Amino acid sequence: MADWDFIRSQPPRLRAALELYVETGDLRLAQRISGLVLEDFVELLKKAGLRTGL
Amino acid sequence: MMGVADTCFLIDWARFSQRDLLFELFELVLVPEQVLAEVRSESTLLWLSRQLGRRRLQLLTPLPRQLEEAYRIVRASYAIHGLRRLDLPEAICLVVGREHGYVVLTENRGALMIREVLPELSDVVVWRALEVLRELLLRQHVSARSEEEVRALFRRYEEETLHIFPRDELEAVVEEVLRSARGRGTRGAEG
Repeated sequence: MADWDFIRSQPPRLRAALELYVETGDLRLAQRISGLVLEDFVELLKKAGLRTGL
Repeated sequence: MMGVADTCFLIDWARFSQRDLLFELFELVLVPEQVLAEVRSESTLLWLSRQLGRRRLQLLTPLPRQLEEAYRIVRASYAIHGLRRLDLPEAICLVVGREHGYVVLTENRGALMIREVLPELSDVVVWRALEVLRELLLRQHVSARSEEEVRALFRRYEEETLHIFPRDELEAVVEEVLRSARGRGTRGAEG
């Protein structure tokens, strides 16, 4: 389940990426928005209580 | 059986305590160099390099024509409304999977979806960790004598990798495994 407190506490770019991911499930697009490499973005997803493969 | 793995599969799978079970299913798994380039964590790189040394994994340098086709797939994923985007690493995996009949290992749902819109990819087999664990159970590479033991394998994967399976799909896989076990007449697998 998504940790919205965590998501809302993120810097703007990461928050936007996480919210986009929740909305669309588009891993690669959200990763691009985040500016992170894939592995780091996946780690961020896990911290946010989200999963890949939405 | 041969496989080709992309980044989002490997970075999760490498965290699993039973990760070497992958090679019970696959005699060899190809790793495109574009996939390797995305891996940053030390623990994942150590496991990958160890398996490359043991020749269970093999580094793949895509041919120019494979790269061209992969770029076309990436463009299609951006152009077709409703599709999840693919990037080059998983697109290369799809190209190689299609050319050689290898199982594509990915967690990117876009790779599953694009098979439904690009006819040339419709026969490509794509497995996520969910399907890999399912096959390990169905082929009895992992022993599970009860429903609890079946569920425990998926739970362990989730806890160790922090990957969360979609609940409805997990239930369908558990039911499939149990049905198979009942069909084999395995005692104690009825839960």
